[in-house]
Amino acid sequence: MMAYSEDHIALAAEYVLGTLDAGERAQVDTMMSVDKNFTAMVLAWEQKLGALNQMVGSVEPRAEVWEKIRAAIGQSEQQAPIVLPQPELEPFAPVAEAAPVVADTSNVIRLAANARRWRTIATVTSAIAAALVVMIGVGVSRPDLLPGGVRPASKTQVAEVKPAPAPRPSAQYVAVLQKDGGGPAFILTVDEATRNFTVRKVGASAEPGSSFELWLISDKLPKPRSLGVIGNGDFTSRPLLTGYDADIVKSATYAVTVEQSGGSPDGNPHSTPIFAGKLIETVPPAR
Amino acid sequence: MLTPAELVWLIAAVAKGDQAAFERLYAATRAKLFGVVLRILRRQDLAEEVIQEAYVKIWNSAGLFNPGQSSPITWMASIARNRAIDVVRKRSETSIEEEPAAMEVAADTPDPLARREMTEDLKRLLECVGQLEPDRQKLVLLAYYNGWSREQLAEKFAAPVNTVKTWLRRSMMDIRECLGL
Repeated sequence: MMAYSEDHIALAAEYVLGTLDAGERAQVDTMMSVDKNFTAMVLAWEQKLGALNQMVGSVEPRAEVWEKIRAAIGQSEQQAPIVLPQPELEPFAPVAEAAPVVADTSNVIRLAANARRWRTIATVTSAIAAALVVMIGVGVSRPDLLPGGVRPASKTQVAEVKPAPAPRPSAQYVAVLQKDGGGPAFILTVDEATRNFTVRKVGASAEPGSSFELWLISDKLPKPRSLGVIGNGDFTSRPLLTGYDADIVKSATYAVTVEQSGGSPDGNPHSTPIFAGKLIETVPPAR
Repeated sequence: MLTPAELVWLIAAVAKGDQAAFERLYAATRAKLFGVVLRILRRQDLAEEVIQEAYVKIWNSAGLFNPGQSSPITWMASIARNRAIDVVRKRSETSIEEEPAAMEVAADTPDPLARREMTEDLKRLLECVGQLEPDRQKLVLLAYYNGWSREQLAEKFAAPVNTVKTWLRRSMMDIRECLGL
């Protein structure tokens, strides 16, 4: 974890804090799907800041919510959807190790032993807790109840201080092609303006005598369309998506099959997709 | 409330496709997760959608949960909270605050802030947050609890977005140093 630049560390922290914009969040999601150590850094921040959730009041959702969840997981079993992007994590550690039990007990002991230290920081914490009461209790939906110092600025002020949105480069779309629940194998990047796509190989290599072929699958098209064989190098770039509507390009599923060496001879896929994914919108940093 | 160890057991069972365990896991955690996302989304309908998606994701990725890396409730709350933040960031052009339904959320009952209920982790974190300047404390907590964007924070603190960006970054690096992360 020491190898990460301060930019990366701050990116992970702000992802967890929640202040990144949609494009930056998509980038972090992609980074997490290809970089285990970066994922670990994000999880460490989630663990640290997650303590703040203890202060959030519980609210019961309506009973219908559970009905919908139950219906959805019933379907998901039959359809085995592709879940992505999915952080690449260690598989579930054996429960027999019962690590949290140990952690929990030590926590209790430490809590008792540290009573004195706690008293010394109590003043600071109480001040923060008071600020939290204000924000949690009334800050959300009743800004009118807040004291002036924490009340949101009025709409008139808002218009004055809001800077014009910075011009952005053309949108980039990224798809992580992976096995269901497994690690990523290819990262597909599409430039919206040029419709050029680039496939970056991050995992699998084709067996000798066979080739990986990329397909575009859309419910708007009668059958999968080949986007060509993925080369053996780390990157394969092609302008082939120019022939498709933007809507099809954005909503399609991108899948990789194993074909005979050199690709499918008849334009149809000959294996079930072994890696698949959909595009998510991301924007390259404007810096 | 179930203990963290019990939650870990339930997630392990869910990873094997145990629907009864999933229902128990939902019952034990739904109100906390719903409270977290409702605070960010401020609309019952959006919060319900996010909670549904979050629990479907929890069902699908229970096998990826690593108890050595995350506590079960933080892992679950992070899935829900990340989804909620994604939703508000994508909706940022429409102001959620002005929707009338947002007011109904006020029925929320904050948990008591009794010190004995705070974990050691929370105390330590608050100690570090408390070392920031008062404005930065508010900045960080509003960002975390309410899911405010840099633009919203800039409005509130009457500062340019780039300045808020710098404050946020510096605050997080200060917290990192204080926590020894």
